Amino acid sequence: MGGVERSYAEGDAVGPLVKEITQEAINLFEGSAGLSGPSQFTDEEAARETLGTSGTVASGRMSISFALELMRRHFGSEVFNRTGTVDLRFIRPVRPGDAVTFTGEVTGTSREANGLKVDVKIEVQNQRGDTTAVGIGSAIVPNAFLPAEE
Amino acid sequence: MADVDNRVPLDWDALEVGETFQKFDYVLTQEMIDDYRRGVMDPEAAFPTISHKVDVRQFNAKYSDNGSVNARCAFHCYNSPIPGKKLTVTAWVADKYLRRGKNYIVTEATSVDEDGRLIDRVITHELKQPWEVGKKWEG
Repeated sequence: MGGVERSYAEGDAVGPLVKEITQEAINLFEGSAGLSGPSQFTDEEAARETLGTSGTVASGRMSISFALELMRRHFGSEVFNRTGTVDLRFIRPVRPGDAVTFTGEVTGTSREANGLKVDVKIEVQNQRGDTTAVGIGSAIVPNAFLPAEE
Repeated sequence: MADVDNRVPLDWDALEVGETFQKFDYVLTQEMIDDYRRGVMDPEAAFPTISHKVDVRQFNAKYSDNGSVNARCAFHCYNSPIPGKKLTVTAWVADKYLRRGKNYIVTEATSVDEDGRLIDRVITHELKQPWEVGKKWEG
């Protein structure tokens, strides 16, 4: 196993990652799983009936996907796709037309049996500066990806 | 002829934490992966399984309710799924709680491919009174 070696420290910035949300992107996301029926994500009438909102919203799982990308870009796919986690609380809706910015910061590291666990706090804001989600993520970086200890 | 809805109306009080649903399988196709990657605008996105909402699929097949809003979601990555492989999902009710007068249900699921590779684990907290957040969002 030979990945890119790098070190991790509290305070390291993760991201940012910016995503512009369109109804087309939402429809592709929902349709990729064969979920083609009207829903609060794809149909204004369904959103009005279920949520009482005037328009559609993006699934929180789209924000999870973006948070996975934020973290994967920082840790690399070899590490993150095997050991990564994200955990978001959704505070405000993300709607078509929004531009959402995902940022992270390393909050700490700890030794685990299978490598170095790196904890990250994650925040998501829309173009108005409103927080749409907050949460945490982590990756366990195998020793093969860390600089040799002195 | 219209389909008959055999679902059970959800009784939050009676719902048992630990209830495990019948396993189900699906094949993750390259087309699904491509659509997902275009949807999330990430050509390297490795876990299209998130859009399949597998943790609530069997729950929604068994229970009828007034819909839900995703309040919290956690995703654990273990191995990227391989296109064309069959995935088997096991899902269960992991928790339920009442907060500020609103009912939440926590579902959890793991996906394993036909070669036995653990793919991912997803945990979702759903608010079962979706109009409550709608009022707040529109207010």
